[in-house]
Amino acid sequence: MVKNSALHLENVEKYFPPSLSGWRAFVHPVSRLTVPALRGVSFEVPPGEVFALVGANGAGKSTLLRILTTLLIPTRGRAQVGGFDVAREPAKVRLQIGYHTGGDACFYARLTGRENLVLFAGLNNISLAAASRRIDELSEPFGIGELLERQVRTLSTGNIHRLGLARAMLHRPSILILDEPTRSLDPLAAAEFRRFLLEQIVGAHGTTMIFASHTLAEVEQLAGRIAVLEGGRLLACDTLAGLKAAAGAGTLEESLEILTRRAPRENP
Amino acid sequence: MNDSPQFLLTLRKLELLFRRDFAVASSYRAAFLIEIFQALFGSASFYFLSQFVQSPTLEKALPRGTDYFSFALVGIAFFDYLSMALTTFDASLQEARQNGTLENLLVTQTSLPVILAGSSLYPFVLLSLRTAIYIGWGALLFGFPLRGANWPGALLVLAASILAFSGLGVLSASYLLVFKRGNPVNWAILGLSTVVGGMMYPISVLPPWLRYFAWLTPVTYSLEGMRAAILGHAPIRELLPSIGGLLLFAAVLLPISFAIFSWALRRTKITGTLTHF
Repeated sequence: MVKNSALHLENVEKYFPPSLSGWRAFVHPVSRLTVPALRGVSFEVPPGEVFALVGANGAGKSTLLRILTTLLIPTRGRAQVGGFDVAREPAKVRLQIGYHTGGDACFYARLTGRENLVLFAGLNNISLAAASRRIDELSEPFGIGELLERQVRTLSTGNIHRLGLARAMLHRPSILILDEPTRSLDPLAAAEFRRFLLEQIVGAHGTTMIFASHTLAEVEQLAGRIAVLEGGRLLACDTLAGLKAAAGAGTLEESLEILTRRAPRENP
Repeated sequence: MNDSPQFLLTLRKLELLFRRDFAVASSYRAAFLIEIFQALFGSASFYFLSQFVQSPTLEKALPRGTDYFSFALVGIAFFDYLSMALTTFDASLQEARQNGTLENLLVTQTSLPVILAGSSLYPFVLLSLRTAIYIGWGALLFGFPLRGANWPGALLVLAASILAFSGLGVLSASYLLVFKRGNPVNWAILGLSTVVGGMMYPISVLPPWLRYFAWLTPVTYSLEGMRAAILGHAPIRELLPSIGGLLLFAAVLLPISFAIFSWALRRTKITGTLTHF
């Protein structure tokens, strides 16, 4: 266990089997893991930090987040969340984390907001009475009071995101993991959502947050440090100012372009 | 956090998952009414079909005092528990993948087997209700004999059947977890059970060599016990061979199937295919 680290990754590698179809899939029902998604990624995130993952599609951001949420097992290397190993102690890891993805189909659409939250609270070992208290507690700061008695299918995407964040925070996790949290939001709703994250999650609770995003304005606004991934490799990991200085660029976008161009090209 | 013992926590989770499915199902109000009338049509078609099935061999093979309609109705109604067990775990996994909740369920403090078990409760309760409606229509309109049936015995056979069938269901879900489509486990079990399980005819009408296969599927023990309890009015002690056979199947199948399921789940976390269709 690594002390004083919310997240600790050491040479994490992840390989997937090639996707086969037709007769090849029939001949090789269980393929070898040959397609790299993450190659030797290492970094640490101290408690309370907001940490962003950026990179092109297929860079390995979502794979990395899925490893941290125990939905994937790393092929090699070690990943620890709150001091617990994701492969060996997944239940303890899940106790530490709240997880929310940017998709809006992540609830039971015909249940009300409250019914959904009570269900997920129960699955996180929270009693009915404690769940009701917690939902009431989250209702005002998360602005979900009016949504609780409505079926989720009647809610806007922005409101579903608020409900999703409330669900992720139900069991008071110390680490929040977000995969493209504003992917399906319009610009105004996304800006409001970011303000909300900063004020209510990071500001009010001091929660550690790691998120993946393609929206660079969001990364600049939220993140204390930024990890740049390319082809499964960690190209750089620094503050916004540090990245700009390292690339000799004026903006994050330019920094990413320069860092990505500099990266050695390799065959998988 | 809840400090209740693990067993109580698991029961609470099963209840929550049942409530979820009940709430979702009750939001589709017409479906339940349709179900009731579907059962009437099913029951009626077996009755009229049974009027044509007149064979001295069959009459000799049926349990004493039983007509073919009652025999077939019990067979068809309770065979559905096997079909349900083989499909319900797959279906709940597929549904969670489709509605996007699978990842959110898997990052909770609840294991996938508990999620699948909880998600199968409502389908089993609904099936039991449908079975009761089938038999109810049969009794009301077509003379299905309810009087004298050993209902507690039938419930015991049913509970043992669900345990044994669930072992097969978990095996079937393991296959789908890894290979996603086309399920030979399901196909082989249902195929064998349909032919030799005694759903539509007594196994005594099978050729002697095929009768041996009948005892390799739990549905044979289940239907034999059910018919003995409901139609033959057998006391519990006469049901013990059937219940014992089913419990033996459960004792062998459940640990093996859960071990295979754990392997399959780990495999999907390695290959990254857990949430793939």
